[in-house]
Amino acid sequence: MNTTVHQTGSVKDYFSSLYKGVTSTAKGMWITFKYVWAVKPVSIEYPEVREVLPERARMRLFNDVQNCISCTQCAMACPVDCIYIASEKMPEGSEIKKTSNGQPIRLLLTQFTIDTALCCYCGLCTTVCPTECLTHSHDYEFSQYTIDSMKYDYLAPDVISWRDRIVK
Amino acid sequence: MLNKIAELINKNVSGANAVVNVATDAKCDSSITVEASKILPVVSFLRGNTEMPFNSLHVISGVDYVDYMEVCYMMTHYDLTDPREFILKVKVTDRVNPKLDSIVQVYAAANFQEREVYDMFGITFTNHPDHRRILCPDDWEGFPLRKDYVTQKMYNGMEVYPDSKMNFEDREYIVRQNMIKQAQKASASTESEG
Amino acid sequence: MQTRWDIGEPEAPTINSETEQLKSELLTLNMGPQHPATHGVLRIEIWTDSEIVAHAIPHLGYLHRCMEKHAENLDYRGIIPFVDRLDYLAAMNMEWTYAMTVEKMLGTEVPRRAELLRIITGELQRIASHLMAFGTYALDLGAFTPFLYAFEEREKILRLFEEVSGSRLLYNYIWIGGVWNDWTNEQIERASQFCDTMEEEAKKYHELVSTNKIFIERTANVGVMSLQDCFDYGASGPVLRGSGFKWDLRKNIPYSLYSEFDFDVPVGTGEVGQVGDCWNRYIVRMKEVVESIKIIRQAIAKLEPGPVMGKVPKIIKLPKGEVYVRAECPRGELAFHLVSEEGGKKPYRLKVKSPCFTHVSMLPHIAPGQMIADFVASVGSIDIVLGEVDR
Repeated sequence: MNTTVHQTGSVKDYFSSLYKGVTSTAKGMWITFKYVWAVKPVSIEYPEVREVLPERARMRLFNDVQNCISCTQCAMACPVDCIYIASEKMPEGSEIKKTSNGQPIRLLLTQFTIDTALCCYCGLCTTVCPTECLTHSHDYEFSQYTIDSMKYDYLAPDVISWRDRIVK
Repeated sequence: MLNKIAELINKNVSGANAVVNVATDAKCDSSITVEASKILPVVSFLRGNTEMPFNSLHVISGVDYVDYMEVCYMMTHYDLTDPREFILKVKVTDRVNPKLDSIVQVYAAANFQEREVYDMFGITFTNHPDHRRILCPDDWEGFPLRKDYVTQKMYNGMEVYPDSKMNFEDREYIVRQNMIKQAQKASASTESEG
Repeated sequence: MQTRWDIGEPEAPTINSETEQLKSELLTLNMGPQHPATHGVLRIEIWTDSEIVAHAIPHLGYLHRCMEKHAENLDYRGIIPFVDRLDYLAAMNMEWTYAMTVEKMLGTEVPRRAELLRIITGELQRIASHLMAFGTYALDLGAFTPFLYAFEEREKILRLFEEVSGSRLLYNYIWIGGVWNDWTNEQIERASQFCDTMEEEAKKYHELVSTNKIFIERTANVGVMSLQDCFDYGASGPVLRGSGFKWDLRKNIPYSLYSEFDFDVPVGTGEVGQVGDCWNRYIVRMKEVVESIKIIRQAIAKLEPGPVMGKVPKIIKLPKGEVYVRAECPRGELAFHLVSEEGGKKPYRLKVKSPCFTHVSMLPHIAPGQMIADFVASVGSIDIVLGEVDR
């Protein structure tokens, strides 16, 4: 049985343990007391003051559909299967556009949806992207009222309009 | 080392039939297989002998190979000068009512580990002091880590994987696109043949 | 040997004749699933006789995600984010162990710089994890201030990791074959600066908590795990070392580049109580922080420019066979048992040996006879993370 029953020894022991208790607590109190004026606060007041995120920070995903070549590598790399891509053949006679790094776009992207509610922000999809069109943006405030509105269709005009802000 | 252990087991436990499985690939680990019915004497021999004792059991891991199931006991010896470890295996062929002897009386560590193996693979351990499921709820059906496991439809009046929470729209869209593509391909090939 | 888990009506422990007379029906208490002292969603069913615990039965599984089944349907790279979520307070060490498992089967050579960076991140993560253990343990015992000090230092590590990997808690930084990103010189400089401040802070923590009389009264001689119990239950890490056994995988079976490093393995010596009690487990963690600082400094001195990613095929296919790889994580020995089929792109079976799962199984053994408040101290001293227990 490992109960801790306080051993009442001699009077001397009693007072020495009392002394130890008071001094060791006072020592700790002094350390804390120094913080009153000697140490500056390290916390920031969030909504007013915002931290600058590091360059590699992984937040909400953004796909620049103008550069996407529908290779579906991101959908295959995704461990939670939250990326849905569909594409079809380019209509005949249309000119073949090129991405910003010079790859020809041979397929017409018809759907690019990411279910952000499922996304685990692991960054695997962005590393396999050959044209670097799928990136993690630095937006971290995107709460919604319904789970359906967490699903972003990147071909929708309102989502495309993020591009001006994100892609530099 | 494994050959020596197998020899020791065969010499001291009759009917254990210890066989060394040499790994086909040099990078992988080899192991020892013993008879399933003799697991308790083998393990108590391994712990109690003086020549090559193993004072601790690390983990019990089950593997389902469809034809049979395998239970792997990771034996370790905590020793500052001569640490050693090896994988001890038994084969369980009966899938409907698999049974093994519990080794809790030898290693106390086996208590939770055997409960987990029972929870995940449905292998019953006879003489286990507290034989219940451990990670899944007590009234869960089926054993999740078996290869032929099918998730139950309803659990306590709740739907498992409800349709409202699955994103069928986008998946269906992609499936439809693929069907269109295949149809186009098929028509293109018939045209070229014609 | 007798079994200790007779599930029938447990006998109330007889403390002395006075309580014998007062003995009545046992009271069943549920500690958890939402209880601040259980560090997550652990439920412990306690049968008490007045304030003395007669029986404690842990009920696990509230955080069960069956990660092992998930892993059977994912490719080897895609498992890393899931492995992160096992022990979310020491995600780097989890990734590292998993990466070592696959690399052993794949036969990949990891570049030297990547190995050193892994050691730096792994040891920084160990410090962060032990700081969390220190802070929450003091919180369990009723001291709130140490928690804030611990978080202030931990924040520096997390900030550094965020700059390096892009995430604060679940990094996905250590990949199969190396690490994702290289560290800049400025970041390495900051890591070494952190070591200097952390050394000073560690001294402060000792003054604040370790030598505090109230803290010693609460933890010394409480929840004693004898060395034989530890072997019996397969305990590892600070729990085993707190019981006085000088065992550390980094020293005894060195993996990675640990054989090149000079560091000490702290063990519990029973300065204020007896060997194997809560105070010893706590002090082993605090001493390990100092040892980790030593390792980081040596690793920074050894760093040379070079590649951080080895040659890994684009689609990882493993040969038929199995491996069992162990590594020393902040909470004990983590191990992966990986079984693969011939040319398998997905693991056939991935079994996680989690140290906390083993340590939780020791709770029913040490609980009988303790006061409830002491039991809280015992649960806190093994530093459980439920993500790892339930997997």
